[in-house]
Amino acid sequence: MHVQIVLFDGFDPIDVVAPYEVLYAGGTASGGAVTVELVSAEGPRDVVSGTGGLMLRATGTLDPARPGLVLVPGASGRVGEPGEVPDIDADAGGASEWRQDEFIPVLLGRTLTTELPGLLKAVMDNPRITMAAVCGGSLVLAMAGLIEGRNATTHHLGLDMLEATGVHAVHARVVDDGDLVTGAGVTSGLDLGLYLLEREIGPRVAHAVEELFAHERRGTVWRALGPMPAAL
Amino acid sequence: MATHQKKESLMPIEGVWDLTIATPVGRIKPVVELRRNGMEFTGVAHGSGEEVPLRDIVVDGDRITWKQAVTKPLRLNLTFAVTVEGDALTGTSKAGRLPASKVTGRRQVTGTD
Repeated sequence: MHVQIVLFDGFDPIDVVAPYEVLYAGGTASGGAVTVELVSAEGPRDVVSGTGGLMLRATGTLDPARPGLVLVPGASGRVGEPGEVPDIDADAGGASEWRQDEFIPVLLGRTLTTELPGLLKAVMDNPRITMAAVCGGSLVLAMAGLIEGRNATTHHLGLDMLEATGVHAVHARVVDDGDLVTGAGVTSGLDLGLYLLEREIGPRVAHAVEELFAHERRGTVWRALGPMPAAL
Repeated sequence: MATHQKKESLMPIEGVWDLTIATPVGRIKPVVELRRNGMEFTGVAHGSGEEVPLRDIVVDGDRITWKQAVTKPLRLNLTFAVTVEGDALTGTSKAGRLPASKVTGRRQVTGTD
């Protein structure tokens, strides 16, 4: 399984590095059944994260024709006040100047003015690719209108926004909706990576990585199966 | 697009309105066209190259509420509650459970009947 993790300006480093390391270790533990690559919509480039100017290098261009897994991270920056609305035009998000500690929804919204949503649509349309997202990555997909009516999660502070885009927002750490698997806030990227290893490669490999990383997944992976729970 | 008028409005609300809506990713500026056919109101919103119908339009005097499924520049379900005063409109839009944010609008001088 080839994994393309998508970098964009302002990405959250943990959202990228946590699944990267988990999946990379899964590749080692499985004798090469998993390969992982950092990509961007624009091709190979240094991509600045939203945390203190830390950079990671994308080595390729997001290829929506390549089977496997595509993972979209969230952004890091300023959380802001409830109900905060930025004094910029959403259409011009890409044109507004880069600055550190930008409001997180602005960083996520700015992706909509790049080539990324078009490429992500092609990814969603490719039945041989599973889409994954961590934290605000689900909101990138949701704001682009790509996961309407689907079951997904995101950072707990973004669940209302996710719901407002027409997604069925589920407050779980990992949500498996078939060809769309999403993780909640920041550190859930470890759990998402481990779950994807279990689902795609097998529980023995997932467990070996879990043991090496000293991190046990927590919570139930939510799937739209079984009886609807009554009020508790 | 079912419409309902509770009370005759004191001033015409039909026309073409330039709206400014505050959202968490920045302002969006759709153009909303409200049409009246007797007691029936219909409407469409244009913005970023899309056209979406307004749903559940309710007119109560100078107050109008409607629902709008924005797709560009971002996908967002909005519920509007605004008051018309002459050629100006003010109120709120609410995206699901997010806190309501401010909406302002100006009637286009041309483009009405």
